[in-house]
Amino acid sequence: MKKSLKNYFRGNKKTLFIFFVAFPLLCIFFSLFIGRYPLSASTILKIIGSKFTTEPENLPPIYQTIIWNVRLPRIILGLLVGGSLAISGTAFQSLFRNPLISSGILGVSSGAGFGASLAIILFNSPLMIYLLAFAGGITAVLLSYLIGRIYNTNPTIMLILGGVIVSSVFSSLISFLKYMADPYEDLPSIVFWLMGSLATARFKDIMIAAIPMLVGITGLILIRWRINVLSMGDKEARSLGLNTSLNKAIVIFCSTLATAGAVCVSGIIGWVGLVIPHIGRLLIGNDNRLLIPISLSLGGCFLIIVDNIGRILTGGEIPLGILTALIGGPFFVYLLKKTKGGAW
Amino acid sequence: MSLPLIEVKQGSFSYHRTVVFEKINLSLKKNEILCLFGPNGCGKTTLLENILGLLKLQKGSIFLDKKDIKTLKENEIAKKIAYLPQIHNKTFPYKVKEIVLMGRAPYTSIFSAPSKRDHQKVDEVLKLVGINHLKNRPYINLSGGESRLVMLARALAQNSEIIIMDEPTSHLDFRNELEVLEIITALIQQKKISVIMATHFPNQAFYFKNKGIKTTLALMNDKIIKLAGPPEEVLTEKNMKSIFNIKSKILSYDDLKREKLKYLIPLEIIKK
Repeated sequence: MKKSLKNYFRGNKKTLFIFFVAFPLLCIFFSLFIGRYPLSASTILKIIGSKFTTEPENLPPIYQTIIWNVRLPRIILGLLVGGSLAISGTAFQSLFRNPLISSGILGVSSGAGFGASLAIILFNSPLMIYLLAFAGGITAVLLSYLIGRIYNTNPTIMLILGGVIVSSVFSSLISFLKYMADPYEDLPSIVFWLMGSLATARFKDIMIAAIPMLVGITGLILIRWRINVLSMGDKEARSLGLNTSLNKAIVIFCSTLATAGAVCVSGIIGWVGLVIPHIGRLLIGNDNRLLIPISLSLGGCFLIIVDNIGRILTGGEIPLGILTALIGGPFFVYLLKKTKGGAW
Repeated sequence: MSLPLIEVKQGSFSYHRTVVFEKINLSLKKNEILCLFGPNGCGKTTLLENILGLLKLQKGSIFLDKKDIKTLKENEIAKKIAYLPQIHNKTFPYKVKEIVLMGRAPYTSIFSAPSKRDHQKVDEVLKLVGINHLKNRPYINLSGGESRLVMLARALAQNSEIIIMDEPTSHLDFRNELEVLEIITALIQQKKISVIMATHFPNQAFYFKNKGIKTTLALMNDKIIKLAGPPEEVLTEKNMKSIFNIKSKILSYDDLKREKLKYLIPLEIIKK
C-alpha cells in the first residue's frame, strides 16, 4: 500500500462508509459458517438460499435451527454488544474530555456484575440474571450521577470520581458475594459470567436486551454532533448555546442504556469500550459525526470476530473477556505503527 | 443615542461568601468597544461570565437587548453574544474546520447535524480571519496566535452582534498581538460588531481610540468599577497613581492627519 493507511481512510469518505457498512454484513455472513456442529459450506449456502426462495428444501430441520436459531442470534448479539460498548466508550471519552475513559467509567459494569451475581445466588434463572444485571448497571450510574451532584463546582470530575467510588464499592460487593457463594454451584457461574460470553444467546434473549441497546445507540447517533460541542467543556459548550445539563444527561442516559443492555446479556467484556474508540480515532479522526457510527461498526465486527476465534480455538469456549485484549492488544499496536499514531 | 445592547445594573456576585465584585454598572452600545482593565484576579473573567449568562448575579441584573439575561435560554444568548475564552483546554485533536463549525451550534437543533449553509458560513469566517489554509490541520498542533484566530473564527461563526473576549492577546508575541487587534478593529468597523474585552494592557484602549472606534475603558479594582469613560479621560497620570500606585507618563504623538495619538508609558511602582 503506497498511501499510508491513515490517508487512505481519510481521503475516501464514500469508500469509507461503504466499507463500514459492508464490513459488518460480511462479518455476519462469514460467521454463519463457523460453529461446532459440522456443516459443510454448501449446506449452509443452501440453508441461507432457502430463506430467499419458495422452493421447499429437503434438509433436516436441525440444520435450519442451527443456522437461524443458534448461530445467527449469537452473531447479531455480538454485533449489538460490541457496537454498544464501543459507541458508549466513544461518547464518554468525548463527554468527559478524557481519552482514557471506557464505557464502564460510571460503574455500569460493576453494578451489572453485582446484580448478576446476586441473581445467580438467589434465583439462578437466566431471565432474573438479565433483569438484576440491568437494574444493577442502571443503579450504579444513577448513584454516580447523584454523587457527582453533591459538590457542583467541577461537575465532570465529580461525576468521574462518583463513578470510580461506585465501581469500587460494587466490586467489593461482588467479591463479598463470591466469598459467600456456594463454591461448587454458584461461584463458578459467577466467575464465568464475569468473564463475559455470548453463549446464552437465543432470539428471545436478544429481543429483551436489544431494546435498551438499540434505543441507546440510536440516541447517540442522533446527538453525535452535539457530543463534539460538549467535548469543549461545560462553559464553552454553554456559551455555544447548549443546554449542557440536558445534553449531557441525554448522552449519559443513552450510553448507560446501551452499556447496561450489553453487559446484562454478555457479562463483563473489557477493552472494547476503551480501545475500539481509539482505533476509530486512528482511522478517521476525532469528529464524532463519523467516529460514533464507525465505533459502532468496528466494535460490532471486532466482537463477532473475537467470538468466532473463541469458539474455533479450543474444544470448549474461551470467555470473551479473556480474548478481547489478547487479540485486540496486538492489533492495536499494529495499527499504531501503521498509522504512525494517527492524530495523536 | 442608540440603546445599549448590554446593560449591567448594580451587579454583585460572590462565590459562596467571597465577594468577587459588587454594584457594577456598565453598558455597551452598538459598534463600540468596552475595555475592561484591572489586575489579575480582580474579577474580570467572572464579570464576563455573568454577562454571558454562565454565572448568575446574586444582586442586580444584566439586560441583553432589554431582556433580563436570566430569562434567556442558552441558545438565545449564544445567537447574540459569542465568547472568546482566555483559556481553552485542548483535548481531542479536532480539525480547525470542525472546531469552527461548533460556532453553528446555536442554530442547530439537538438531534441534527450542521447543514450545507453552516459549512459555507465556516468557509466564510475562515477566510475573513485569514486562516483558510489551516482548515484541515489538527488544531492541537497550532501556534498560540493561530489557535487564538481559530477560536475567534468560531466566535464569528456564531453570527452574533456582540463578542466577549477575555484577554484576546494574552501569551501572544508582538506581531500576533497587533494582528489580533487589527482583526478586532476590522470587525467593529466593517462588520458592525460590538466588543467587550478584558485586557491587561491599557494601551489597547488607546489603540482602538486612535483607530477612531468609540471606546470605553472601565478600570476594575477592589471589587468595583473605579472609573469608566473614554480612555483619554480614564487613563491619566493622576488616576494611574491613585488607583494602581503606578507612576506613569502619557505621551502623545501627532501624525498630522488625525487627532493626537496617545500612549501610556508605565515608569515605576510607587513604594509607600
